Amino acid sequence: MQVSLPTRNAVANGADPLISLVGVSKRFPNGTLALDNVDLNIPRGQLLSLIGLSGSGKSTLMRHLNGLHRPTAGKVTVMGVEVSSASNRQLRGVRRNIGFVFQQFGLVGRATCLENVLTGALGRLSGPRYGVWSYPKKLRSEAFDHLERVGLVNQAYQRADTLSGGQMQRVAIARSLMQQPQIMLADEPVASLDPESSAQVLDLLLRVAVEEQMTVIVTLHQVELALGWATRIVGLRDGRVVLDRDATTLKQEDAMEVYQRVDKNLAQPSNIAQPSNIATEPAPLALREK
Amino acid sequence: MSGAHVEPLMQSRVARPVAPKNWRHPTLLAIFIGIVAATTWSWLYLDMTLLTLFGGLSDLGNLLAYMFPPIWDNFPEALRATIETIWMALIGTTLAVTLSIPLAFLAARNTTPHPIVFAVARAVITLTRAIPTLVLAAVFSISLGIGPFPGIIALGLHSIGMIGKLFTEAIENTDYAPREAVLSTGTGKWQTILSTIVPQISPSCIGTALYRLDINLRESAVLGFVGAGGVGFLIQTELRGIDYQRAISAVSVIFVTITLIEIVSTRLRASIIGDHLSMPKKLNARSQARVARDQRLINTAISTRRLTPPWVYERVLRTTAAATFVALLIAALITIEMPLLSAYKYGDDLVRSIGRLFPPNFTFAREEIIVGMLETTAIGFTATLLGLVLAIPFGILSARNIIIRRAVVSAARGILLLIRGLPELIVAVLFVAAMGLGPVPGTLALSLGTATFMAKLIGDALEEVQESPREGVSATGASRVQEFFSAVVPQALPNLVSQTLYMLDVNLRSSTVLGIVGGGGIGFLLLGSIRVLDEATVGAIIITIFVLVYAIELLGSFVRWMVE
Repeated sequence: MQVSLPTRNAVANGADPLISLVGVSKRFPNGTLALDNVDLNIPRGQLLSLIGLSGSGKSTLMRHLNGLHRPTAGKVTVMGVEVSSASNRQLRGVRRNIGFVFQQFGLVGRATCLENVLTGALGRLSGPRYGVWSYPKKLRSEAFDHLERVGLVNQAYQRADTLSGGQMQRVAIARSLMQQPQIMLADEPVASLDPESSAQVLDLLLRVAVEEQMTVIVTLHQVELALGWATRIVGLRDGRVVLDRDATTLKQEDAMEVYQRVDKNLAQPSNIAQPSNIATEPAPLALREK
Repeated sequence: MSGAHVEPLMQSRVARPVAPKNWRHPTLLAIFIGIVAATTWSWLYLDMTLLTLFGGLSDLGNLLAYMFPPIWDNFPEALRATIETIWMALIGTTLAVTLSIPLAFLAARNTTPHPIVFAVARAVITLTRAIPTLVLAAVFSISLGIGPFPGIIALGLHSIGMIGKLFTEAIENTDYAPREAVLSTGTGKWQTILSTIVPQISPSCIGTALYRLDINLRESAVLGFVGAGGVGFLIQTELRGIDYQRAISAVSVIFVTITLIEIVSTRLRASIIGDHLSMPKKLNARSQARVARDQRLINTAISTRRLTPPWVYERVLRTTAAATFVALLIAALITIEMPLLSAYKYGDDLVRSIGRLFPPNFTFAREEIIVGMLETTAIGFTATLLGLVLAIPFGILSARNIIIRRAVVSAARGILLLIRGLPELIVAVLFVAAMGLGPVPGTLALSLGTATFMAKLIGDALEEVQESPREGVSATGASRVQEFFSAVVPQALPNLVSQTLYMLDVNLRSSTVLGIVGGGGIGFLLLGSIRVLDEATVGAIIITIFVLVYAIELLGSFVRWMVE
């Protein structure tokens, strides 16, 4: 089955992209090639979903956007700053404008929810802070507002490790809102949650993104979830972009191709033994037209 | 189906798998044989016999008889000296914690700014650990004079070795997820560390500090032996003057103090480290009322949008503890009359007194150094063996999951707590007074200290074993003793081996200072050289001690790494 990509260029031809990756490759010190020559342009206001198997490079790609990882080759530009070669100071400036929601929430369990949300304001403040009292009152009040927005104001003075997974992720979202970001990245935000909490968290993420007119990139395992809300779907496999489509014209079966191909290989061990077979096939999903 | 099962069984009888040859086994075996040989040599070198052991007991009985009836006329003096001892331990521990915090961040793999800084910070931590407090105090007293200051500074510097090491481990064990998440909001390095690493490590660091305070209280009780303040001086004077009836008052005051403070600090540590989530929910009426009150406070704070955290029970407790600590510290600084403002001057003196140890002179007292080190090593090995023999039964009796009768467990733990109440060196002084000078009383005192410490480690190791293998073995119809040997011992053994090596390491350090109270080993020569201001020889002895202790520590960590 073939997936062509007519929409990709159309998207890229829009206004000056907010995020652009040009020929980005990443090889980890242990030799794994996590990203392989990725080109991607994301305009302002887009709701993009990144799909692919575990290990396909989704998380690595996300971490390149805010400079947690630096590429081995290629260029990453975010809001006009070349993240791939930015100084620490520039990098902090970029990160301040990017909310990042993690699969494992990244909350300090022993601190209260309010304190966790307040850490989202650290980028605006100078110097280290410890404890609620060390933040200006105005920011504390703001943190309350954000907790209210994610529906957890009653838990403000509760320790974060007393919450359920879904609640923790909502606190993490409140922390990102505290940054007043222009871009929201969410790396498998619902992978460790039950279906009901997943729906709640994704719902919340999208509502605030639309309200704040943020550009959103969410990586997801579940294609159905991705198709439900995204305006654009990008599929990764083995560090390469293998699918890039307008979500409205994409059928679920097409998207499943990103996953199924690997299953086929598993069923036919000979394919694994000779990876060159894959490369010489007429590349049904490969999107780089050279 | 059944045929398919029979076939491989038949085959396995033909080609029985041979135990794989692991390269680690011969090395471990060689180390084990080496340790056994060294222990045997030590036993013979010290002329230990079972007769000496029991003879020592009767001597001790005589000493106790001399102590009765006690004369309490110097009780106020003993109390004053004991309070000074507490203040010294408090200031020394605070000093060590203050110095350890920055050092630990530089020495932790995940926070160090540079590999060179990392190596230097680690080296400082190891170096401070290798030189016993009493030796440091003796050296510092040359330039700082008699009194509590050299003792406090010695406590502060030596404690860095343990506190710094444990703080570093706490930092390295933190979860990376919060750090990555906060870093992603555009924070600087130190903002991130303060907001994510510090909250994660603070309970375990407070626990470590309290634990060290316990140890330092015991250490500072004997600093008086080298003239560095505290109750030790009083005890030594009275025992030297054969004033046994008076000595008992000072000994009992410090004993009661140490035991009480250990009980309090154990409670405190359990409530700080014990995460309230993992604690059993014992909802008695009192804690129910407390939870309800906390909830009311939180609700009011939220409905009125109070921007400061409400005073819930935990916060009240924490603030009270912190305020008490600050008050005690101020009291200590005032009582001891710490010259904080002229600290720089003392720093200068310290550096100079360390400088005078160089260049070390190994030749002047070569024979004595060699004999002293041999004796020290022999004491260390023998005391570890004797301590282990005593510790095994007590350790088993104090494990709650092995011994069903709670009364037995409580009795075993109570006895251990009481023996721990007397610091090793005070026990050594008593034994020396009863049995005369020489390595045997020193060895016995050290064995007793080892036994209590080791018994606790054995008890903890046994309590950590998993239950399911025990159930499995019991289900096959094994007796309780059989089940203990086949399901509990194999699980606890690697831990116990590394703890024993750690104990050997600790004992070699302790045996270097036994000589200061006449308990044999290099300490006697060390104190003598300090008294006659032969600093070059002192330097040589310290370097020799460092090499020995460091070698044993390396051996210990190598074996720990091998047994995983």
